[in-house]
Amino acid sequence: MEFGPILRSMARNKVRYGLIVAEVALTLAIVVNCVNMIGDARREMARSSGFDDDNILSVRSTPFVPAFKEDGYLDAAVRKDLDAVKAIPGVVAVSNTRFLPWQGGGSSTTTRVLGSKGEFLRNQVYNADESTLETLGSRLVEGRNFTRQEVESDTRRLREVTTSNRPPGADGKPLEKISQDIIVSRAFGELLFKDGKSLGKGLEDEDGDQYRIVGVIDHFYNPYGWPIHEYVMFFPGYARSFQGGSAYLVRVAPEKMKAVRPQVEKVLLAANTGRNVQLRELTEIKERFQSQSALLVRILSLVIFLLLFVTSLGIVGLTVFSVAERTRQIGTRRALGARKLDILSYFLLENWLVTSMGLVLGVALAYALNVALVTRLNGTRMDAGLVIVGVGLLRLFGLAATYFPARKGAAVAPAVATRNV
Amino acid sequence: MLLHNLRIAWKSLRRNVTLSVLIVSGIALGIAVSTTFAAFRHAFSKDPIPQKSDVLRYVRLDSWDPLKPYPGDDPSRPPTQITYRDMQGLMKSTIPVRQGGMFVSNFYVYPDPKVGRPFRELTRLCFSDFFPMFDVPFQYGSGWDRKADAGPDPVVVLSQEMNHKLFGGANSVGRTVRLADRDFRVVGVLAGWRPNVRFYDLTQNQIATPENIYIPFNLLRPMQIRTNGNTDGWGTSGASGFEGFLQSEVCWIQYWVELPNEKSAGAYLDFLNAYVLEQKKTGRFQRPLNNRLSTVSEWMTDAGVVPKQATAMLIVSLLFLAVCAVNLVGLLLGKFLARGGEVGVRRALGASRADIFLQHIVECELIAVLGGAIGILLSLGALAAMNAWLKTIAARGGFFRLDLSMILLSVGLSLAAGLVAGIYPAWRTCRLAPAMHLKV
Repeated sequence: MEFGPILRSMARNKVRYGLIVAEVALTLAIVVNCVNMIGDARREMARSSGFDDDNILSVRSTPFVPAFKEDGYLDAAVRKDLDAVKAIPGVVAVSNTRFLPWQGGGSSTTTRVLGSKGEFLRNQVYNADESTLETLGSRLVEGRNFTRQEVESDTRRLREVTTSNRPPGADGKPLEKISQDIIVSRAFGELLFKDGKSLGKGLEDEDGDQYRIVGVIDHFYNPYGWPIHEYVMFFPGYARSFQGGSAYLVRVAPEKMKAVRPQVEKVLLAANTGRNVQLRELTEIKERFQSQSALLVRILSLVIFLLLFVTSLGIVGLTVFSVAERTRQIGTRRALGARKLDILSYFLLENWLVTSMGLVLGVALAYALNVALVTRLNGTRMDAGLVIVGVGLLRLFGLAATYFPARKGAAVAPAVATRNV
Repeated sequence: MLLHNLRIAWKSLRRNVTLSVLIVSGIALGIAVSTTFAAFRHAFSKDPIPQKSDVLRYVRLDSWDPLKPYPGDDPSRPPTQITYRDMQGLMKSTIPVRQGGMFVSNFYVYPDPKVGRPFRELTRLCFSDFFPMFDVPFQYGSGWDRKADAGPDPVVVLSQEMNHKLFGGANSVGRTVRLADRDFRVVGVLAGWRPNVRFYDLTQNQIATPENIYIPFNLLRPMQIRTNGNTDGWGTSGASGFEGFLQSEVCWIQYWVELPNEKSAGAYLDFLNAYVLEQKKTGRFQRPLNNRLSTVSEWMTDAGVVPKQATAMLIVSLLFLAVCAVNLVGLLLGKFLARGGEVGVRRALGASRADIFLQHIVECELIAVLGGAIGILLSLGALAAMNAWLKTIAARGGFFRLDLSMILLSVGLSLAAGLVAGIYPAWRTCRLAPAMHLKV
């Protein structure tokens, strides 16, 4: 196949072919960057929390009867709730904790290795009772879980400290220090102690309160505004107040969610009517948290589809035009002995050349656009594999969009050449 | 003349319907995609209070940890909210014509048992200036007065929805509502206040609708109200308990002032700086002087109201439109150049090159306008779908809209695309040598 005539004919129609080059280049740049953004969103969505998400139910109880303002009443009510829910068939475990996976936030504090002069590191912090780990489906890799006794005594102790106004000393920090046993995630332990051996070690916060690591769990992930997704410490205690209400997580046996959910609501409202109860499955919370990413994925996919459609249209248009313009030349070539295959390959080669130029330009444009998105809009760098796949895809589209009009051109009868206009 | 051009253009489009449909649908897709994403971004970025956006200022002071800057994208930014102590200090200034701090809390509302069970509701605690400052519209009554701020009197302003829920939509001014542990007298009912972005409090859930209940800020102490908004703390918590929290360095109050002109804005910034320098003497504010007095749009930019993805998508969609325009050039070129005979006849009959050029530009613009109209309809559908999606996750409707500015933008984009795409093919066509095409 000779390139000469093709290149010469292209040189005489610079603008027309230039347009296709530009179109292919822009399309490649956009498609590759869109796919890159889709990849980001999908990776974020595919992250696992490490908990038994599918079988956890979140319950928020918010009291409105003043009796709940009394601590003893509140404690008894929490215990009664826990026992009542635990008794429902199909419930595996139930826990009173403020921690709620996938809500896109939570509470945090800053701590550092006890006695070190290091920087205070931010981490998530939640209360846990003796069943919290079981309810979440978290595995303890080192140390021990909290005991019920310790949860109850720490709840009392913490309440005494926080309701008394802790008088500050000369340094502005409270004179009376608190010390607590905590369970941390492995990632947080490794952040604090470079050798990864965190069990039994101590931490302190900026008030000088101290914490001793008694247990380590293997995996923790909870999206948060700050980059502390994997860093957590749990302290023993119940979480309940009149203003904040109390929160429970309920883990049910697989496939039992539908049956258990209405039971939980019924049992809780029967246990105490002076409150409202709100139930949400963790899968709903997760879905809501990810809905923006899910929408982005859908929109970008649609954009890619439309773009490929429009570009194919452009290539089809160009080929149809080329074929129509050259009907007589095709007839002449056919009359001089060219086979249909020769005509077809002429157009395919022509397209191959045009798209190649477009793709080379497109790769450069794609990287330029990516750099702009990375620096201005927190995008991620795309990898070369993606660009290669994009190039291959557009090549395929280009050939397909040329093939059908070109086949029509190849079907031109040699006799056409002998006719006048 | 133009009408004649249009008639010819229309005939030319009808001649090859398939090609015309392809051409028009290409541009329609481009306009649909770019209009949709422009409107998507616009829903976040548009000025929520255009009549006052440059007289309202959001106040930030850098009272943060001497050892490290306030966390966030930009370490030069002070905390997004101020402490209770500083709010009390700032309220003493007489420079702003209106001012006040505010926060949200969760309250139990105890309706008439015939109406329903008690329920929790987000409630904003603010000063009387809140309502005139943000031009809040009232259906019944009005906001409370400064005397009620000082009291503090148990008065309440309800949203239209809350008034509907509690009083069936009747004029409830003068009636009582039980919130938490006391009775409140209704002084006003809002008239469907729906800014797209909750600009007056961008610290949480920025696109939520305004709260349904408003009560005087100073009830904070007598009712021991805790905030339900973000609390940003650093260092030691100091004394605990309610009073300890109020005296702490925790930032949790949003503070706005209304300054009628640049001169008063300058004077107020001087006041802020003097206040901070005074506080430095007591050992507070150890960081460099970094006070911000931001207009509504500046504060919206700092608070990152426009999702970064929305901007990325807008860029992508404009490139998409560019591809459609390039595509259009190719198709028009094919269409026009195949018409040598017709152009030859017109030229031979005395039409100038300019006439031919104009004729083809008119045809391009006709295509662009048709495509633009279809594109706008398509984007209306896309925005409706996005609204439905938003309703499921944020319980608010009508967030994405094609307002006049967006329609003008998309008409402008269509005309521009038609012109840009049409110039070269039209120019080539008018340069065709008539003699060549008249020979048979």
